[in-house]
Amino acid sequence: MLYGEKIKTGLEKVKYCFYVMTHPFDGFWGIRREGKGSIPVAIAFVLLTILTLTIEKQSTGFLFNHNRLSELNVLVDIITVAMVYVLWCVANWCTTSLMEGKGRMQDILTAVGYSLLPIILIRLPMVLMSHAITTNEGSFYYVLGTISYLWAGFLIFTGTMVIHQYSVGKTVTTCIVTIVGMGIIMFIGLLFFNVIQQMMTFATTIYKELRFR
Amino acid sequence: MKKRILTAICSGLLGVTMMAGSALTASAQVPYDSYSFNYWGEEVLQPHSYLYERTLTSLDFGLSLSFPEDMCIHGEYLYVADTGNSRILKLDLAGNVVQEITSADGSSDLLKTPQGVFVTEEGHLYVADGGNSRIVEYDENGEFLRSIGRPVTTLISDSQEYRPVKVVVDTAGRIYTTAYGINLGLVEFDKEGVFQGFIGATEVSVDYFTYIWKNYFSTDAQKARMETIIPTEYSNIFVDDEGFIYATISNLSDEDHMNGADAVRRLNPTGTDVLRRLGNTPITGDLAGRQWSSFCDVAATEFGCYYILDDAGGKVFAYDYDGNSLFVFGKKGTKEGNVQKPVAIALSEDEETVYILDSILGGILEFRITDYGRHLMNALRLNDLGDSEGSNAEWLEVLKSNSNNEMAYIGLGKTYLSEGDNKRAMEYFKLGNSRKYYTKAFFYYRKELMESSFGTAMLVLILLIVAVVGVRCTLRFRRWVGEVRCFMAKR
Repeated sequence: MLYGEKIKTGLEKVKYCFYVMTHPFDGFWGIRREGKGSIPVAIAFVLLTILTLTIEKQSTGFLFNHNRLSELNVLVDIITVAMVYVLWCVANWCTTSLMEGKGRMQDILTAVGYSLLPIILIRLPMVLMSHAITTNEGSFYYVLGTISYLWAGFLIFTGTMVIHQYSVGKTVTTCIVTIVGMGIIMFIGLLFFNVIQQMMTFATTIYKELRFR
Repeated sequence: MKKRILTAICSGLLGVTMMAGSALTASAQVPYDSYSFNYWGEEVLQPHSYLYERTLTSLDFGLSLSFPEDMCIHGEYLYVADTGNSRILKLDLAGNVVQEITSADGSSDLLKTPQGVFVTEEGHLYVADGGNSRIVEYDENGEFLRSIGRPVTTLISDSQEYRPVKVVVDTAGRIYTTAYGINLGLVEFDKEGVFQGFIGATEVSVDYFTYIWKNYFSTDAQKARMETIIPTEYSNIFVDDEGFIYATISNLSDEDHMNGADAVRRLNPTGTDVLRRLGNTPITGDLAGRQWSSFCDVAATEFGCYYILDDAGGKVFAYDYDGNSLFVFGKKGTKEGNVQKPVAIALSEDEETVYILDSILGGILEFRITDYGRHLMNALRLNDLGDSEGSNAEWLEVLKSNSNNEMAYIGLGKTYLSEGDNKRAMEYFKLGNSRKYYTKAFFYYRKELMESSFGTAMLVLILLIVAVVGVRCTLRFRRWVGEVRCFMAKR
């Protein structure tokens, strides 16, 4: 394939995510059946979301920024967004494979990644907006913020529905089960972490004992 | 060689530490830290507002105090309720006993463990004579005037003990007392000593969970072991210049504190709490995560600032009229200048000296205001009087000693705002972490900016439109030319 053509298909893929944002049912169908989605683009969106949240915390105007700037931690954003993304996708894949979902792992990853677009598109301009408005006009600001999350949530919901070819009721159940699944995965993870830590301590204690003899 | 270098380094280090040590002891003469709470609720050390001066002890009095419980100041005299010795002492500010009152009506009618004293503007002395269940009034010379006994009412049962603990008299002559075991609020008598009722009872709030649990799910045995939910009693009262009563509450549990229960109230004559709680931190003394404070007395200045005494940590918490934390000083301990069991606080007439009565020590500790404290209080006083220029100058002085003082930034910001220097006001409000005022300054700044740059903005906009239209027209024209050429070529 020619280099220029590669760029062209890439651009088309990026363009497609805007289509998904405004036409979710059609858009997600395209991702599932017509191969119009792309995992790199989805991951880029996850990274951009992290960047958006960080910029928002750092640069939102004084009136709307209740964070303590000297105690900001980028790692927290990275871990929360990336971890929730991975956890959701894994838990969703686990549940939907048991619940006759038609989606593959790559579809889930793409759909959820594409669903984050409203957060980036709305919240970044909101940072600029926060420098130009007073507290009295703050309701617009907060409404926009809520819209961005609701839109993203709606996209994730429809994404799950279309990709797995579910009815609305079944999607709701799946989402709840997925959230429970996320909890279970986290619990097992922590348990595993704890056990490994104890094993390590045990090993180091034995090593120390032997060394001191 | 190596050894020598080592010794040199060691001796150098030793010298440095010794110097540091001596510097430390020099600053450690004040046996407590002064701090205030910032916007984030953290304790920020600040210059001392009040410094320990001296302690008036039995050596000064010539008498020893036995568990004194209350103190009141009037002009040049301190009145101390020497509870353990069942007497009232009138002291001058040097600690000499001027008068000793042991009896009420005649020498046989002795006082019995009086726990509260109060002196009115005219100099009349009121004593809460708890052991005899009465309030006794003396004139300015210490002559007995009258005694007010147990209130005649059906609101309290006859078997109920009536033991007045603290007493105040407001500007209208109404007498208020807190009584031991009565949780209906303050007992109010009119000028003539006739019982009027109870005011300022703390309302009991029970959360739904407790209510349901207690009434529907507990067995009788469990109920018996549960705490009964009763309103809290006031630990001390103080009447300010406007006739409002400051009342402190000390017997709050950790749970009450976590639920944000009031630890101090300012009651108007109808008994409604009108204390302003507009500060960044709740008025509970030390904040969550620390040892909870237990307020035992309060004293207010004439411009609405008040000093609350905490007997848990031995500290004094000062707040301004709006409830902003001004400073905290004092500490519990055995060093000179520390308190062991503080019971009462009094402010001198000029509001520059704080007296704290210590029950175990049997003495009165004297704290003098520092320059920093004076500037701070003056700024608030002038602000209260409406003299913004004067308070501005004082705030600048405050900032010189303490650049962490958020109130000073807000105070200065307000002045800049009224002067129309909006940008600067914004800067100061930001430093003072006040979004409430920042938004005002920002509103005017934005307006100013829009008005001043409207012309430029319009010009840029028009030029942009012209450019865009021009480019589009040129492109369209070229296309048309191309089409025409194409057409010609075809032909």
